Amino acid sequence: MATTTLDHPQVTSSTQEKKSIFSSRRGRRIRENVTAYLFIAPAVIIIGIFGIMPVAFAIYVSLFQWIIKQKEFLGFGNYTKAIGNLAYVAGFWLALGAIIAAVVFARRLWRIYRQSGQSPWLWIPTGIAGGAAIALLVKFIVAVLPNFLGIADKIRGIAVKTREVYAQLLGEVFSAPEVVTARNWFLLILGLALVLAVIAYFLGGQAARIHGGEYVSYSMLATSMAIIGPLLGWFTYREIVQAYVVAIEAEKSVDIWPQVGTISGGLILLLAAWFVWRSAERADSTKATFIRLAAAAVLIVAGWILIGEVPAAGASGDKDIWKGLQITVWYSVGTVPFELGIGLVLATLLFQEIRGKSIYRMVFFLPYVTPSIASAAIFRVLFSNQPAAPVNSLLTVVGISPFQFLAEPKGVFTVLAQRFGLTDFPSWLAGPSLALVVIMIFNIWTYVGYNTVIYLAGLGSIPKEMYEAAAVDGAGRWSIFRHITFPLLSPTTYFLTLLATIGTFKAFNHIWVLREAAALGNTDTFSVVIFEEMKRNARYGYASALSFVLFGIILTLTLINNRIAREKVFYG
Amino acid sequence: MANAIALSAKPSPTKRQGSGWQKRISHFVTHFLLMAGSFIAIVPFLWMTSASIMSEGEARSARLIPKQAHFENYLEAWKQANFSEHFKNSVIITVITVSGQVVFCTLAAYAFGRMNFVGKDVIFSLMLMTLMVPEMVVLIPNFLTVTWLGRVGPIPWTDNWPALTIPFMASTVNIFLLRQFFAQIPNDLWDAAQIDGADHLRFLIQIVLPLSKAAIMTVVIFGFIGSWNAFAWPMLVTQKAWQPITIGLNNFLDEAGPKIHLQMAGAVITILPILILYFITQKQFTEGIAHTGLKG
Repeated sequence: MATTTLDHPQVTSSTQEKKSIFSSRRGRRIRENVTAYLFIAPAVIIIGIFGIMPVAFAIYVSLFQWIIKQKEFLGFGNYTKAIGNLAYVAGFWLALGAIIAAVVFARRLWRIYRQSGQSPWLWIPTGIAGGAAIALLVKFIVAVLPNFLGIADKIRGIAVKTREVYAQLLGEVFSAPEVVTARNWFLLILGLALVLAVIAYFLGGQAARIHGGEYVSYSMLATSMAIIGPLLGWFTYREIVQAYVVAIEAEKSVDIWPQVGTISGGLILLLAAWFVWRSAERADSTKATFIRLAAAAVLIVAGWILIGEVPAAGASGDKDIWKGLQITVWYSVGTVPFELGIGLVLATLLFQEIRGKSIYRMVFFLPYVTPSIASAAIFRVLFSNQPAAPVNSLLTVVGISPFQFLAEPKGVFTVLAQRFGLTDFPSWLAGPSLALVVIMIFNIWTYVGYNTVIYLAGLGSIPKEMYEAAAVDGAGRWSIFRHITFPLLSPTTYFLTLLATIGTFKAFNHIWVLREAAALGNTDTFSVVIFEEMKRNARYGYASALSFVLFGIILTLTLINNRIAREKVFYG
Repeated sequence: MANAIALSAKPSPTKRQGSGWQKRISHFVTHFLLMAGSFIAIVPFLWMTSASIMSEGEARSARLIPKQAHFENYLEAWKQANFSEHFKNSVIITVITVSGQVVFCTLAAYAFGRMNFVGKDVIFSLMLMTLMVPEMVVLIPNFLTVTWLGRVGPIPWTDNWPALTIPFMASTVNIFLLRQFFAQIPNDLWDAAQIDGADHLRFLIQIVLPLSKAAIMTVVIFGFIGSWNAFAWPMLVTQKAWQPITIGLNNFLDEAGPKIHLQMAGAVITILPILILYFITQKQFTEGIAHTGLKG
């Protein structure tokens, strides 16, 4: 096929012409590079502007009071407003994380040196200068950004937008004194890095260049982390000191330092318990038991400290956030196990020689593909509080009096207890609101089909011989499921658990449609709270800070999940 | 014994050894459970369809099937919710986004999958990182960006097609999916094409694309679903002129109030295009999902 279609005289001649320019090996490599960059350019530009850059931009926005327009710098203000003093704890731990990352990169560099024996000293100065240049670039961007954003406002008043106007405005942006200083420093260090790179390239000779790239990139990463970490730590420290100053002026008592100390202590103990527990695996059985007991004791202490202190530290934060977080946790706990469980059962049933397999699969999958706004609209009517609404009238037929469903702010267990005549049901047992339970039902209904399809794929990848061998050994259906299918499906299960949990934290569309005034505030998950801040209150800075809290939670969940998956998942 | 074997996909000879009635019961239970599952999955749709052709009173009573089909409900919902406008918007947005996605993602995926260039791994892993970022984080900065671009550039971005389409024209998931597919194409083909004087673009268009129809179809389908179902972002960047159908439906739900029959007619109109697409491409769909683990 290739030969016939491509045998076009015109094409051949044109490529031959190009060949004369790019005939050397280096020429061909350059050409391949240029073509590749042209190919990826549109996608990379779009993803860069709307996928990567926004993260940095959101950090920037979250540090300001930003109500439609950029206002004053608040530092940690938005974060402390959201999660109270926990913001400071997070600041210190992020700083610590950056420093640890710097050490890890430095160690990796060291390991390459140990393995290859090639001296890295020639390359490390380049890396350090490069890392410093990155930090200075960030500083430059931060200096430019407010002026840059201001262009839009300035240009608004101008009737005729000419090229000269743009050029003039851009010139103004880059000629502000603080911008010029930042730019000069950046260019200076960048130039230094380039000069050092060239020197290393020629001094090192052919052999030294083999690991040169790795040395430069690792030392660059280590340097930038080593700059970010202490800076963030110092910034957090300054914010705390400032908070004390403000508090003393207002004659209020604050205990940020004790809180930061105790929570950090609790976290360290938690990590220690984890490592002690892990070390038990290397010991023999009696020793291991003792070690595990010790780990458990440490864990209990750590947990006790954290449970006692974290809510106290977060108490000064936004009440809506904590409510939203609590609802989100309910939402996850109430959906993920059911979603996966039902999906697994259906997949196992479907994974047989039965008639109508593809039709079943198609039907199960239907809820997942329908626009969630439309399917939520259906559920809104199905589970409406009207006595004649479908679900309520179905209940009436069975002899149960109707529920308020989506308009019920009370906890589901309270509602059920009231049905049985228990009026003084304890509030801590109330559970999620009935309205939220309906949303959970919607979620399960939507995603079961998705999980079924993924589980089906997972089942398909289990080798048939396993089942045959087990059947020869006389294993029953349940024991085959318990000892072969389920363990071999664990990668799928972990993948789906992570996806479903993150999904509940991101959930927005259907909740937005299903929330009703009567149950307001009892169905708003974290994402909905953020969107409310953004859309209704237009507090962009604050909403950005909240979204980073959400991001932090999702990242932590992902990391924990990956850790567990690495240890427990059986990859057949 | 028979049950155990039933788990495996292929019928094996031992299967016949199980006693007949045991097998039949197991079969019956399986089908019963699957039927129950299908029923629950499909019943909201059935009810929606039924309610959409009821009279106003019937929809509010506990009726299951209307006495008489009121197909004029669709026309009324279409008019009242101004669906002609929203529908048109959604179609335009979807077509532009999906075409952009196919072109840009194919090009990028080809480069990442089949070419060597400086910084390939770094750029690719940077792009993969965006998968972890929740939509809520990027909503505000992107909103500020499109507002800024609209003020500075020649045409407004907000409440206009660019804000609704351009940010979604490249998706990391699609690039990843296509890259996997392109990388599997044997290198011999490329060698042969090179001998014939083809460059990368020609090879991509004439050889790779025809071989990757299935993967491209998956991208098209998911792009379609993604832009047809988009909600939070359009809510932020549209006021009136460019509201897509999901926003239109959401507004209509509030406006229509007690007119359940019209609400359901609106839901039918919103779902129908996706449903048609789903039934046509059903097999590709579930397989695409199973291969990529796509969600959202």
